[in-house]
Amino acid sequence: MLSRLLWKGLYPALTVVALGLLVSSLPSGNHGRFTATLSAQAFAATGEPPVLTPISIDYPEDGSIFPPGITPPTFLWRDASGTSWSIDIAFADDSAPIHAASKGERMQLGPIDPDCIADSNSPPKLNPQQAATWTWKPDAATWASIQAHSAGKPATVTITGYRDGQVAYSQSHIAFTTSMDEVGAPIFYRDVPLMPASGNGGAVAPLAQNNIHLIHWRVRDIRKPESHTVLKDMPTCANCHSFSADGKTFGMDIDGPANDKGLYAVVPVQKHMVIQSKDMVHWNTDGKVGTVRVGFMSQVSPNGLYVLSTFAGPALSRMIDSYYVTNFMDYRFLQVFFPTRGILEYYNRATGLREPLPGADDPKYVQTDGVWSPDGKYIVFARAEARDPRPPGQPHATHANDPNEAQIQYNLYRIPFNGGKGGTPEPVKGASQNGMSNNFPKISPDGKWIVFVQCKNGQLMRPDSQLYIIPAGGGTPRRLRANTRLMNSWHSWSPNGRWLVFSSKARSPYTQMYLTHIDESGNSSPAILIDNATASNRAVNLPEFVNIDPDGIDQIEVHVADGTGVASGGK
Amino acid sequence: MPASRQFRFVALLVFPALLPSVASAQVPCAPPESMKARFAGTPDISALNDLGVWFGDQKNYSCAANAFATSLQMDPKQKDMPHVAFMFGASLYLAGDIKEAIAAMQEAETFGYRDIKLHLVLAEALDSTHASADAESEWRAALEIDPEYSDALDNLSNDLIADNNLQGVIDLLDTPRLAPQRTVQQCINLSLAYAREGKLSESARVLRDGVNTYPDSFPLAEKLADVLTQLGEREEATKVLEVAHARQAVRHAGVEVH
Repeated sequence: MLSRLLWKGLYPALTVVALGLLVSSLPSGNHGRFTATLSAQAFAATGEPPVLTPISIDYPEDGSIFPPGITPPTFLWRDASGTSWSIDIAFADDSAPIHAASKGERMQLGPIDPDCIADSNSPPKLNPQQAATWTWKPDAATWASIQAHSAGKPATVTITGYRDGQVAYSQSHIAFTTSMDEVGAPIFYRDVPLMPASGNGGAVAPLAQNNIHLIHWRVRDIRKPESHTVLKDMPTCANCHSFSADGKTFGMDIDGPANDKGLYAVVPVQKHMVIQSKDMVHWNTDGKVGTVRVGFMSQVSPNGLYVLSTFAGPALSRMIDSYYVTNFMDYRFLQVFFPTRGILEYYNRATGLREPLPGADDPKYVQTDGVWSPDGKYIVFARAEARDPRPPGQPHATHANDPNEAQIQYNLYRIPFNGGKGGTPEPVKGASQNGMSNNFPKISPDGKWIVFVQCKNGQLMRPDSQLYIIPAGGGTPRRLRANTRLMNSWHSWSPNGRWLVFSSKARSPYTQMYLTHIDESGNSSPAILIDNATASNRAVNLPEFVNIDPDGIDQIEVHVADGTGVASGGK
Repeated sequence: MPASRQFRFVALLVFPALLPSVASAQVPCAPPESMKARFAGTPDISALNDLGVWFGDQKNYSCAANAFATSLQMDPKQKDMPHVAFMFGASLYLAGDIKEAIAAMQEAETFGYRDIKLHLVLAEALDSTHASADAESEWRAALEIDPEYSDALDNLSNDLIADNNLQGVIDLLDTPRLAPQRTVQQCINLSLAYAREGKLSESARVLRDGVNTYPDSFPLAEKLADVLTQLGEREEATKVLEVAHARQAVRHAGVEVH
């Protein structure tokens, strides 16, 4: 009613509306005959092919580039006109087009993990667009043929909607290509429930202690229809993981005995990995570089000799003075977590010592997110003026991007590693001093590009996070074409530098992972969903390409000497 | 709590003889059997607040307001005062006392109560008194907490359209985050904003997408046909109406529509 009032008087009386009203005034049984006549007259009057109403093709997007060998995607479209559809795929290599008919299947949600249902979350549901979506998924043989004929040359997909089986009413086209570039490596990721918990005193935790065992670590070969669980049932919390560029060394934050958060596991990558107490780095406890031993965003160096991480530094004695952490009961964005103070330190696996990195160890700043260049010669990191994460009187944030969060905008800097001697940090032009928070840099394996996250405030799990690319030496930032509507982060380069995996909440609050192709010039293609990476009520995070054979990791066993048990996964 | 604030709540008490009324079984606001023991003597604020919630559950909002008001009068400094003030305001609103409801909820807001429900109820109350500028800021406060909240987006865009703040509507609704979940109302408001800005192609884009999402919405199809005709796309306009009528006919015939 309101909408009609709002609209009233906007447009002059229109012929079409008059026709519409005339039609609507007819007895319902006459509608079809009348509209058919109307339609025929309209088409006859023009002498042109009938105009077809546009179909909204939502996936794949026009210009998409699929990796060779990826499992068949599900095509998604919305169409008010059609009741059945044809899908025609024409190829630039002059091979015969592929034709498929579809009565239309509705979009479906994947299976649910019953262990991850909680009062604090909601089962996944289709948004209005998804509820109106029709789908078509080619069988494996058809998709293989499509991929073969679209390799390096675009395939044009035409979806045509029909009413009454014969009459075409609607149509749209998109084009996509199959890349000549293999993905070439598996993706290691963490698979988590989103079930925040309110404990005694109302303190909110992202996950109750008794549900930590529900976190899984999985490996995905995009040529396979599902992922392989390599680690689960961990008795203690484990966080960020990192692989060396050569794929030979694996590092992971693992909270050890007595919930000691000052531990880091470093082990050789093997098909069957075993992490034992002897593999745990204790981030030396002598206090020379500070008593707070919690590392953040640790990164194994390309050659596996060092681990770079963010620490509170010698000036601080409490972790809470260096991190802004707030957890929410809203499962969609359940945590804000970022450092507001800290310095970069590197751990030398040969000496067992942790040392500050000069030039990135200034307590006036927070220095974090350090990543190695592929040759290990320099480091790119995020920096901002240090600040108290919770100044007295600051109200608590109640949701992600609440203005009451500690406000911090990072800038990217570059510094030589110089054998641990560091140097003078230089801002990365295009990723600094732009009023936004520039963070989570990742350098391409050829050293040519940096892809980083830009958001309004802080870092990690930001609803507004977007991926940008700049030349590694700095330059004009370009927003990646692959960015989706909601949260784009946790990206990782494939070892050949042609693909980026990242996570997003584009289709569901339960985060999924996507691929984008990056060409020689740093152009990105629309996001390609990696289907079926987890249950539809679990979230994928921290996806990372590992420079190994697709079946290079089968199982990880973690033996934690705290009497709480043994974590293991795999077969 | 400053004296002026205490006075505010006392002044809001719209029901006489509060404490006796909640304690007596002879009046309409008597506690239920299950809670009577807690009202044997002078009830504590926890009992009163629970009673308010109970009356709310029974949809007896006048008595709910009565109970919350008594609680606030008894202990204006109670730990959950802002929340109770909100419950009081919300009860008044649901009981039909809009003016006092707004005042009470604004008090709760002043005292730092931060919950999306406060902003939603207060915004709706303000809209009902045509205080659209204040209502807009409350809808925006709700959207700060949940940027995808459909009712807030519907109502805020309605207010912005009414204020002829067309760019405001576009900024609000034409964001990638919202595109997959725009309601019919949001599609209409956004397309209207574009149309009034003279951007008919954009208006058509929004409406085409909306029609494909809500194929059974006749108003959307009608608006799309309007805009297409303005753009000279008469054939498509005809077809859109034709399909909309066909769908309507099928619905009227009780046949399941795809």
